[in-house]
Amino acid sequence: MSPYILHPRFKAQYDPNNQEFSISGVVRPQAIDELGPSLALLRDAISCVRGVLYVNVKRLTQMNNAAFHAFSRVIIDACRARPDLRFVVITSSVVGWTSRKFGRLSGIEPNVTVEEYDSEFYPGQGFLEEGGFVPILRTQTKMTWRHERAILPRHGMRPGIVMADICCGIGDFAVLVQKEFQPSRIVALDHSISSLDYARRVMREFDIRGIEYTYGDASEMLLDEAQFDLVTCRHSLQIFNRPELILKELYRICKPGGRVYITNEKNSHCLGEPRAESIRWTYNEVAKLFAHFEMDVELGPKSRRYLMEAGFEDIRVESFMVTNLDGDPQDFADVIEAWADVYAGEMAAKRGDGPEFVARFRQGFQDHIFAALHPKGYAGWPIWIASGRRPQ
Amino acid sequence: MGSVHHEPAGGPTFEPLIQVDMEIKTFVSAWQHCDYVSTYMARMISQKRSDSVRHSNLFSSAFNELLEVAFRTRHAEGELACRVSRQGATDRIELTIPCVPEERQFYQEAVAQVAGFEARERYLNSVSGDLAPSREVVLLELAVDYNATLRVEEAEGDAIKLVVDLPLEGLQH
Ligand SMILES: C[S@@+](CC[C@H](N)C(=O)[O-])C[C@H]1O[C@@H](n2cnc3c(N)ncnc32)[C@H](O)[C@@H]1O
Repeated sequence: MSPYILHPRFKAQYDPNNQEFSISGVVRPQAIDELGPSLALLRDAISCVRGVLYVNVKRLTQMNNAAFHAFSRVIIDACRARPDLRFVVITSSVVGWTSRKFGRLSGIEPNVTVEEYDSEFYPGQGFLEEGGFVPILRTQTKMTWRHERAILPRHGMRPGIVMADICCGIGDFAVLVQKEFQPSRIVALDHSISSLDYARRVMREFDIRGIEYTYGDASEMLLDEAQFDLVTCRHSLQIFNRPELILKELYRICKPGGRVYITNEKNSHCLGEPRAESIRWTYNEVAKLFAHFEMDVELGPKSRRYLMEAGFEDIRVESFMVTNLDGDPQDFADVIEAWADVYAGEMAAKRGDGPEFVARFRQGFQDHIFAALHPKGYAGWPIWIASGRRPQ
Repeated sequence: MGSVHHEPAGGPTFEPLIQVDMEIKTFVSAWQHCDYVSTYMARMISQKRSDSVRHSNLFSSAFNELLEVAFRTRHAEGELACRVSRQGATDRIELTIPCVPEERQFYQEAVAQVAGFEARERYLNSVSGDLAPSREVVLLELAVDYNATLRVEEAEGDAIKLVVDLPLEGLQH
């Protein structure tokens, strides 16, 4: 057991612009006086808001009954003194007890509602959390693994380490790493329940040990600080509208001296011969389509800047190209087919694209497949890998 | 370690996972011990659960409340024993708390209240009431928010054993 660290383990804040009081961290006081300043802040907030006060407990990981009662009292008293005021408590679906516990308040005071903040993290989330993406992810990981298994040791991967894979999807990468490098522990986190169910089923069926799958939000993780030697986050920074927030979390859970490893794409650089022009046009459009949903699939080459700005040192960047020559060209073709389905299907429809555009858009994918399967053809999908060390 | 565990004949068998014992004097010397022990044990026992991180968060949350109850014991001698065992989806916490005879009666009554059907009402009243939550309310909350079942068993010497079953695996999502 390590010595208990005495520092304030929670934080209360009030943001007048959003009329939002938030409390985060571990709140387990022995006596209520310890909460004095936070309770005063809540009372002050109540006295100056009009309409609705948001009480944000998304990042509240623990709160004992004594503290819960103290905060509840302030809210309940305010409801009685100011019937014009509404309280919206925002909990996280990730922290299991908060919705139940705070939910009791709405049973007591009708002016309190409790909302579980959940799915709408970023605009394009729906497309990627649906089960339809599973086959793409499988084949993609199979193709990228051929390259990454040789690259990973240059970025801190070695046997015995404790690692986390954030936005792990269906867990294929974690399983491959487990077999090849035998880390002592892998925590794999994702926000898709169906992907995690799939991953757990694979783990059971193949009797794989040492991987712990966990449901969570990459931008607000329940994981403790500074516990991993290596934190990986693959093909995912590029799907968040604010990647720097995720990177901050990756930094937080990484040990000082440990590394954070990210992979990202630059879709407009997908290429093929023959039919290069049509392919190029379509992938330029892919980048624009994602941008429309506030996702930056051009992020790859920006990784270095993101890592520097997040405070990492000893930053290493490299890139590789998955091609139709890597293994079975049909695998490459399958991945493109799946991209076409989602991008020229659901996503284009959602943006409101007309049939003419969609036909041309689709054609580029067909041409990419044509290049991949052509006996003299060449088709590529470039990936950028970057890692940085958290300073000691 | 070492205490023998008896299950009612024919009952399910709980597989022991971890046990932490400490002098009650040491335990009550710092409030942070509650947080520290609950966090540590939660982490140790959650690794095999389908979602270790969430399970550990929930377990620590419930267990900390029990330790805070034990912290308020008025008995200065003896050992606090925390033992966790598991049967399927249920984790069992057995907390042996040194106590004086009046306290033994308090625990018995509190646990009987928790089993009462108006438990939820009683809990809600306490939340809107003025008083800081009593130990009884804390136990009620475990039943209401964590679907815990509680009972009190006799323990050797001046102590009682609080047995709390937590079906946390079923509580997820
Ligand atoms: C493009 S996939 C990449 C999956 C995997 N890393 C791979 O390379 O195959 C993005 C993943 O991020 C997950 N995700 C999306 N939003 C998330 C969030 N807020 N927290 C955690 N995971 C999230 C999705 O469920 C999806 O599995």
